[in-house]
Amino acid sequence: MGFFKSKLKRFNRDNKQKKNENSEHELRIDELLHRCKESTDFVSYRYSESSPFYIHYYQTIVEINILHQYVLPYINENESNTLFDLQQAIPIDNTEIIDNVHEIRDKLLTGCIVIEVKGSIQEALVISAVSLEKRPVSMPEVEYSVVGPKEAFVESIDANINLVRKRLPIPDLIVEEVKIGSLTKTRVAVLYIKGVTDKENVNTILQRLKEIHFDQIVDSSFINQIISDNHNSPFPHLIDTERPDRVASVLSEGKITIIVDGSPHALTGPTTLVEFFSAFEDYFLSWHIASIFRLVRLFAVFFSVLSTSLYVAVLTYHYEMIPENLLNPLIASRSGIPFPPILEAIILELTIELLREAGARLPTKIGQTIGIVGGIVIGTAAVQAGLTSNVLLIIVALAALASFTTPVYQMGNTIRLIRFPFLIFAQLWGLLGVTFCFSYILCHLLKMTSLGRPYLAPVYPLRLDDLRDSLFRLPFFMQTKRPMQVRSPVRTRFQPKKHEKPKRDIED
Amino acid sequence: MFPLPKEDKMVSPFFVFYLIHAMQVGVGILGFERVIVQSAGYSAWIAILASGASIIGLIWISYRILNKGNNDIVAIHADIMGKWIGGFFSFLFSLYFLSFALVVLRSYVEVIQVWVFPEVSQWIFVLIIIFLAYSYVTGGFRVVTGVSYLGILYGLPLLLVKFYPLQYADYGNLLPIFNASPADLFKASKEMTLNFLGFETLFMFYPFIKDGPKSEKWAYFGVLFSIFIYLLTAFVTFVYFNQEQLKGTIWATLTLWKIVDLIIVERFEYIGISVWFFTILPNICIGLWCASRGMNRLFPVSQRNALKMFCLLLFMISVLLTDRQQIDVLQKVISQIGLYTIYFYLPFLLVLQYIIMKVKKG
Repeated sequence: MGFFKSKLKRFNRDNKQKKNENSEHELRIDELLHRCKESTDFVSYRYSESSPFYIHYYQTIVEINILHQYVLPYINENESNTLFDLQQAIPIDNTEIIDNVHEIRDKLLTGCIVIEVKGSIQEALVISAVSLEKRPVSMPEVEYSVVGPKEAFVESIDANINLVRKRLPIPDLIVEEVKIGSLTKTRVAVLYIKGVTDKENVNTILQRLKEIHFDQIVDSSFINQIISDNHNSPFPHLIDTERPDRVASVLSEGKITIIVDGSPHALTGPTTLVEFFSAFEDYFLSWHIASIFRLVRLFAVFFSVLSTSLYVAVLTYHYEMIPENLLNPLIASRSGIPFPPILEAIILELTIELLREAGARLPTKIGQTIGIVGGIVIGTAAVQAGLTSNVLLIIVALAALASFTTPVYQMGNTIRLIRFPFLIFAQLWGLLGVTFCFSYILCHLLKMTSLGRPYLAPVYPLRLDDLRDSLFRLPFFMQTKRPMQVRSPVRTRFQPKKHEKPKRDIED
Repeated sequence: MFPLPKEDKMVSPFFVFYLIHAMQVGVGILGFERVIVQSAGYSAWIAILASGASIIGLIWISYRILNKGNNDIVAIHADIMGKWIGGFFSFLFSLYFLSFALVVLRSYVEVIQVWVFPEVSQWIFVLIIIFLAYSYVTGGFRVVTGVSYLGILYGLPLLLVKFYPLQYADYGNLLPIFNASPADLFKASKEMTLNFLGFETLFMFYPFIKDGPKSEKWAYFGVLFSIFIYLLTAFVTFVYFNQEQLKGTIWATLTLWKIVDLIIVERFEYIGISVWFFTILPNICIGLWCASRGMNRLFPVSQRNALKMFCLLLFMISVLLTDRQQIDVLQKVISQIGLYTIYFYLPFLLVLQYIIMKVKKG
């Protein structure tokens, strides 16, 4: 402590003379050190009584071995007393002598060792020795695929960019970084391929990122919500993915990726509604299978949104619509149930939501138990107690199942949410109510944009070329063009070779 | 004075197909058969063809006017007749477009009241539909085009259920093929023309089409498709109903939906009427869009405010019309006005434009 106080005294004396010159530095280095000292993990000492060097660092974010092996021995050996000589001697690259206190502060707080020399007041040598805790790259959990790569992003931005760059080893892959968040100072990287990506899209994203005024950016989903085109929309505007292969693929399509430090999910855009229903695994399967799966998923969405509300509409207003042979099982399961269809449906839908919510918040093992016990026991008990009908239980369970087929988790949530307005409208005006609600959502989707590009494309505005990889996926040799949606300056992805097989006779 | 819209507000030429077709097929198709059969019997299909052909001629005239003026009807009127007289006619056109929305809205709500919810009062449905149309129109012309395009896509599967009445068809109904005097046929054609009304909205949205002159062929295709739909509908109705029965059936197409018998659905008309909403909605949206756009071009009022005003007006008039007779009168009046507009005013406009352009050049 003694040496620190003496240093302070010296600073005070010197500063009296230099005050005018330093007025542009709002923060003086001694004030900075003083503030840092309030934390117990901040270390600040003079190496030895004879040495002119003062060493400062946060011990919790610095790799202490670097200090011990590559810094301290050289301070000891070094005869000279200047920072410059020390910088020359230390065998670490990227050391800097900085005279801006704000910069010194930022470096100090991101894991650098700061070395000051007696006599020099505003200059310091900054040695990078950052030690960051991160987990190893693991399997994708949200977007699991049976075939294909099994890597997923982690919480470190550098590791994530590494995963992308190794898949796109080209100098045109540009990474632009901004720092967002007045408290968290989160590093946000925007990735795109120069020459393939529309410059306007990149500018839109960069501008929106720079306009963010928020104290904390903890995850990429914060960015997703803040920069979205319409803040009142329940639909996500950018796809979040944890697969580096998906990111590499959409980058080469001409889209843009945002990677946020501390988040294992990257955001990609501009995007369209149908893209939310394409799993990346579709590209690993043959195109027939992939196309059928996509159509099945699309059907699942409609089923999930409409099935319960149609049940309520038909049973409340249009019971004439039920054909004779279906009437018997329906009556058998509905007779004795004390609630109108709407109440029955809402109770069951809420039960499913409760089960999902409880399962999602609990550890995996307990979550499974909750799912099985809750689902089977409550379901069976509710039917046997005569509170709900079998038929509706089947419909609700199927609808919940269908909503989970959506590959992008955020979209699955949206789909489960918009079921409820449909239910209410069905109760009010039957099938017409369902139509009204549907047309209102259609209006919302028609008006929506993702980074200023229409959200319902390629269905509307109709782009026949883009349809090849949207509702279904045609074979690779037909995917010769980048989607119109991204407005790429280079639309052609590759020159297709003529697929001409020489005509041969049967036994040639 | 009348600036053209920005590039990013425009739509591709082929959407004219959907816009024109959406405007022509509305409520009328649910019950047009009775009207034409009353005049010309089962030879009325000739009337459909004849009036369809005349509409194609009128679209040719429209494109001559629009290509020369290269702007919407408000600017063309101002060019030809000057600010005041031209403005007056443009104002009438705006109201005319609004009346489309009114007729379609009121007729559809009537269908709902008669077929689905007899006990619910009309203003609720009027209010909901106007609210929906309002939220579409505030999205701009691109959204309005979107709903006409998607509306047609949703409506097309309804054509498939025409198969069911064919199972009970009596093709002998159609014979003899020519069984009407030219005068009867003319009368039927005149009545059929009412179902083709609506293409005049072209005069308002023409500047919003990228490369307008190129869209001409799509407009013809749109009309041809409408003719095809009307012919198909009439054919199925004619072979199913006998002539006397049809004369007493107000909504023949709707009645036909009743006999559709799917495995999981009986009484298909409930689904049909719900899905039909997506055919109705574009009509109301285009009508409201054209009317409010016209106001915006004529007066120093924002299109949003004009739209609000028109929505209010639409609501009040729709609620005031309470019974079948009044709706019938409304339909008759609007169709008379439409008839004179397209057959007399449009050719007149073409000639006038030609003369005035000549004079101005000279």
